[in-house]
Amino acid sequence: MRGRGASTKVMAAGTALEPLSADSAEDIAAQEFARIVESHRPQIFRFLLASLRDVDLAETLTQECFLKAHRNWSHFRGDSSAMTWLMRIAINLQKDYWRNRRMQFWRQTRTNAVDLDEASEWLPNGERSAEQQILAKEQVAQVWQAVKGLSERQRTVFLLRYVEERELSEIAAATGLSEGTVKAHLSRAVGRVRAELRGTR
Amino acid sequence: MNREQNMAGESPQMDMELEQALKHFKSSVDAWSYAVSTDAAGSRPRTAAKLAVRHSWRMAAGWALGCLLAAGSLTVAGHEIYHRQQLAKLAAQKAAEQRAAAGRATAQPTSAQPVSAQSDQKAPAATVRKVGVGNEDSARSQDSARGQDDNLLAAVDSDVSRQVPAAMEPLAQLMDDNGTQ
Repeated sequence: MRGRGASTKVMAAGTALEPLSADSAEDIAAQEFARIVESHRPQIFRFLLASLRDVDLAETLTQECFLKAHRNWSHFRGDSSAMTWLMRIAINLQKDYWRNRRMQFWRQTRTNAVDLDEASEWLPNGERSAEQQILAKEQVAQVWQAVKGLSERQRTVFLLRYVEERELSEIAAATGLSEGTVKAHLSRAVGRVRAELRGTR
Repeated sequence: MNREQNMAGESPQMDMELEQALKHFKSSVDAWSYAVSTDAAGSRPRTAAKLAVRHSWRMAAGWALGCLLAAGSLTVAGHEIYHRQQLAKLAAQKAAEQRAAAGRATAQPTSAQPVSAQSDQKAPAATVRKVGVGNEDSARSQDSARGQDDNLLAAVDSDVSRQVPAAMEPLAQLMDDNGTQ
């Protein structure tokens, strides 16, 4: 965040004649950031929840993501959208988490990740028959099973594409991969899902 | 990349199924995320109940296992102590028996002495010549006792040498030969 005692005078758009004080500039930045948190928090949380299948951990990492974003808000140049930037932070946090977990393997790390059956129980109450509900649940369970078998990168790319519905360019920007690599990962991930669906049919 | 490209080469039915599965997956994750993030009362009763049940089961299982381990280790320790005490008792008993046997063995030659001493004590009433005869008698009886001990030891030695294992038989025979020689 911008420093409280900063002597820089921020000029708000359209008010070029009246220089803003540091405090009011801070207020504007804070309001802007609060708006971003409000609008993007659900997506970040959803992505982390789907990646980790752990509600508490997803909550913690989401908080951490926005804390990091808040600290580095001044460095955000706006080259990509705020969502892509936030998603990049979330992906890095998730990577750090997996790396630490691997390191802490012998230190009895506890995880509250729900199992696949529990994760697949969630379905919106649409106007569906009981049979359709069961079929949908089965399909969701199969997709979860396939997602579980994916590598970290494949899973990230798959979730960004099919849960967050991001464009390939956005996924490439968020993951730091080239579009070609993103395509390759996505293709493998979809192939796995397809195989899972075919295998249990 | 579009989905049509991904699904190239697959049957239309499979494409439809994949698309439907992905759609259901997305809506499932949406519903889960929404229910968890809003965390309204009763928004996720099933999961909450399941988690509570699972945690209580885990806790109960943990406690049961812990109690079992503690009871097991206590029983083993108790048994070990009892076993050691029994061994110590047996050892003490054996030692006492050995001591008694040793006492008996040492008492035999000394008890022979009082008999001669008694005969010696009766002797002062007799003449000086008789005293001399009494001394000779006691010396003779001591010699005979010593001879008996020697015979006994020789018999024991020969018994022991006969009980040697087969591999030592030639040596035992040699010993016998030497003994007879």
